[in-house]
Amino acid sequence: MKLAKLFPWLAGVLALAAVLFAMLPSGKVRGFDIQGFASLPVLEGGRVKPLDSVARNSLLMIRGQQSFRSEGHTFHADEWLLDLMLRPQVADQQPVFRIDDPDVLGLIGMKQSSNRYYSFQTLGPHLEEVQKQAQAAQPIEPQKRTRFQSAVVNLFERVYLYYKLRNTLQLAGTPGLAFEMQTLGTPDASQRHADLAQVAQFRPLPPLPGQNADAWQSTGEALRAADAGTVHPALPLLAQASQAYATGDTNGFNGAVKALEARIAAERPEFVSHADHEVLFNRTQPFYQGMWLYVAALIVVFVSWAWKPEVLRPTAFALLCVGALVHTGGLIFRIVLQGRPPVTNLYSSAVFVGWGAVILGLILERLYKNGFGTAVATAAGFASLIVAQHLGTEGDTMEMMRAVLDSNFWLATHVVTITIGYSGTFLAGAIAIGYTIRKHLVPDPDAETTRSLVSMAYGIICFALFFSFVGTVLGGIWADQSWGRFWGWDPKENGALLIVLWNAIILHARWAGYVRERGLMAMAIFGNIITSLSWFGVNLLGVGLHSYGFTTNGFWWLMGFDATQALFMFLCLMPSLRGATHRHA
Amino acid sequence: MIKQIGTRLWKIITSFELTIVSLALLMALVFLCTLAQVHLGTLGAVNVYMRSFIVWWQPQSMNISIPVFPGGTLVGMALVVNLTASTIKRLAFTWQKAGLWIVHIGLILLIAGEFATGAFQVDTSMAIEVGQTVNFVESPRSMELAVIDTTDPAYDDVYSIPEATLAREGTVAIPGTPLAIRIRKFFRNANLSALGQGDQPSMATAGVGPGVKVVGAPAVTRDEEINHTTAFIEPIAGGRSFGTWLVSTDLGAPQGFTYEGRSYRLLVRPRRIYLPYAITLKKFSHDVYPGTDIPKNFSSLIHLSNPGTGEERDVLIYMNQPLRYDGKAFYQASFGKGDTLSILQVVGNPGWLIPYISCVLVTIGLLIHFGITLRRSVKRRQSQKEG
Repeated sequence: MKLAKLFPWLAGVLALAAVLFAMLPSGKVRGFDIQGFASLPVLEGGRVKPLDSVARNSLLMIRGQQSFRSEGHTFHADEWLLDLMLRPQVADQQPVFRIDDPDVLGLIGMKQSSNRYYSFQTLGPHLEEVQKQAQAAQPIEPQKRTRFQSAVVNLFERVYLYYKLRNTLQLAGTPGLAFEMQTLGTPDASQRHADLAQVAQFRPLPPLPGQNADAWQSTGEALRAADAGTVHPALPLLAQASQAYATGDTNGFNGAVKALEARIAAERPEFVSHADHEVLFNRTQPFYQGMWLYVAALIVVFVSWAWKPEVLRPTAFALLCVGALVHTGGLIFRIVLQGRPPVTNLYSSAVFVGWGAVILGLILERLYKNGFGTAVATAAGFASLIVAQHLGTEGDTMEMMRAVLDSNFWLATHVVTITIGYSGTFLAGAIAIGYTIRKHLVPDPDAETTRSLVSMAYGIICFALFFSFVGTVLGGIWADQSWGRFWGWDPKENGALLIVLWNAIILHARWAGYVRERGLMAMAIFGNIITSLSWFGVNLLGVGLHSYGFTTNGFWWLMGFDATQALFMFLCLMPSLRGATHRHA
Repeated sequence: MIKQIGTRLWKIITSFELTIVSLALLMALVFLCTLAQVHLGTLGAVNVYMRSFIVWWQPQSMNISIPVFPGGTLVGMALVVNLTASTIKRLAFTWQKAGLWIVHIGLILLIAGEFATGAFQVDTSMAIEVGQTVNFVESPRSMELAVIDTTDPAYDDVYSIPEATLAREGTVAIPGTPLAIRIRKFFRNANLSALGQGDQPSMATAGVGPGVKVVGAPAVTRDEEINHTTAFIEPIAGGRSFGTWLVSTDLGAPQGFTYEGRSYRLLVRPRRIYLPYAITLKKFSHDVYPGTDIPKNFSSLIHLSNPGTGEERDVLIYMNQPLRYDGKAFYQASFGKGDTLSILQVVGNPGWLIPYISCVLVTIGLLIHFGITLRRSVKRRQSQKEG
């Protein structure tokens, strides 16, 4: 009995310990302090970030993962990037390019097989053809490209990113940065320095004392300045690290990394601390961890309905709480790191929608204590975080905001409110799906629980109507403030309006008595379809001010999701399978 | 009898059915309007679906239009009538219902505001180069034929004929001058090209027109497309014709003629609305994030000079920070010519405050209503537990 009381706590503490364990730094790789190197701040995509973020995002874009196994060794993104920049002959043999499209595989002379990953070396002889095909496809609007055209453009973009990273610190195929330092001012050198400045993907050399905080330099720019006589104090250290890494001199490398960090910390301590925090955030991966915690909680809650509910229901709730804690912690960490409200792009909207649904589900569980709150919270949290994981493979998730969106006030009010409205509508839909499954699977569902499910769904729809309405109108006011029309019938605005209208229809139909329990639930599930279309569908149309990138791949996922929702609606309206067999018997 | 009909009508317009049907129709319209934007552009789709009484369908290769769906205006009106009537009928004037009263008044205001926008909003723009002073705004969607008397080098006298008048293709007398313009043919949109060997000779007899081939084209509504408004016109003065001229937004150089020692120029251009004040662009800034081409900020530092009120001041217009002046709002919209040209969107909408008010009303109303409901439901649950 005592153990039964303790068990939920134990599960929660264990889960939390597992999360904290992930925050610990890893050791040296082959004696090199790769972690130290990856913590160095650089300027990429308009913002200061650690090299670790560059490495992870690049590998995500190129391979779709943050680490990979090859020849019995797990390569983390940091080690891969270091190899790519300083030992390209090694990195070029790593299978990092994921290619699925059979026509693109054909282009590089490969047959479709279980192997989906190819190295730069394998691609090498076909790059000219890939570039030719991609350049032919690029002028075509992304929505109008064929599958092959999209795939070849995508491959080319990844190869180009790889090529840029390869030639950022030093030109691949040259003796390296130390050699550049020795040959400053020689006739060939200036051409190489110009090339380096041209292709650099990021800028590793921080602004000099007295310079503007944006005045980072690429290696090429710093070498050019050195040609003219001004040597950036960090440049020789970078050269030392480069040479030491290539020759396997661990002490030399580790010493140079320490000196580099000290050098930057002395003048720009804020960059170093920002980079350290971001590295910690990257390592913790709170949203990834949260996703697994939600899955665990969901499985436990399912089991609890069949076996030992008195132990397992609180255990599932404990896991959900830890998941919510990690999720919330991650959100706050992100807000502080970026200095922005929680939703700034499609990726972060998915993270936030999930968070809102989880918190609402937690509250419902506290109110009703029947396990349904936990079930819908974990299901919604898991589903939205998995969507976020997929959206996160498209690059830096903390990218800079375009001028028109650059308003913390409106991001904090309009975007957050409308996203909470999405959360509410999805949660009501999730409750209705729970209701549907229960109706068909549970023998003799008790009326009390059914009533509480209906009142849960009803309450959440009211909540969702409020937030989606306020969010939509705030969006109109933002539009009026920034380009002079309150309502422009832009697709995203229309999508938001559809959610408001649908929630209003549900509530009026219920008030008028046209729908009762079953109808209300089926309508709530349809709310999922409306919300998913409004959230992602408008990105597929490619018109309007809000159409920020979304792949055609997403289209099929969206259609698949909506089809399952339609099926649930159908099931919701059908009489219970159990009830039918019952009557026959 | 009449009373009976009246009662039935009242029953229909105050019914929940009408509410739900109207809301559902509005949803369908919004959805269709969104999809149609891919082909028609935002403005075109909104005109077809939202700012119309009836949505018409024109079968291909047939010259008839079939009404297929109620338009946004009709549905919006039905909603307003239904909202107003059922609020009056159904909602008792009690504190319990105060929230719903406020919500519905807010909603009526919101829809009224959208009608006001459709009716009164004037969208124009102002393109202004660094150092330039401009005292007019242009309407990008409607054109005019300007007849400009350039005799006096110090100033121009401008007479303009709006597009709607041109489209009627008659003779228009220019007030204050001996001139009249006969509009012989008008194209809302046309494609111009050099007249080839085998082509039919042009209708034009003067200016560059005789060498140009004109083919009428369907008018476009997509945001990124513009109409090449074109016309054949014949200036007449003192009983004498000055030949038929081709004028078009697609023709670069203005053309002109002289009558009784006065020089006139003919020009089709976006319709101009002159302002009683002038704006000078002092500086345009366009910043990007370092090492990228992601725009960080656009801003125009302008000088506002109003001789009528004696106002002389500098204003910085930037993203999310428009200048509101004289019933108009000036927004930073675009830029060009290597960052020396700033394009301001100028919007006059007398009803711009309505949505703000209605938003506040609905928010407060919903909070009150759901607050009351929540309190009641919590009380009920408590009494259930105790009982």
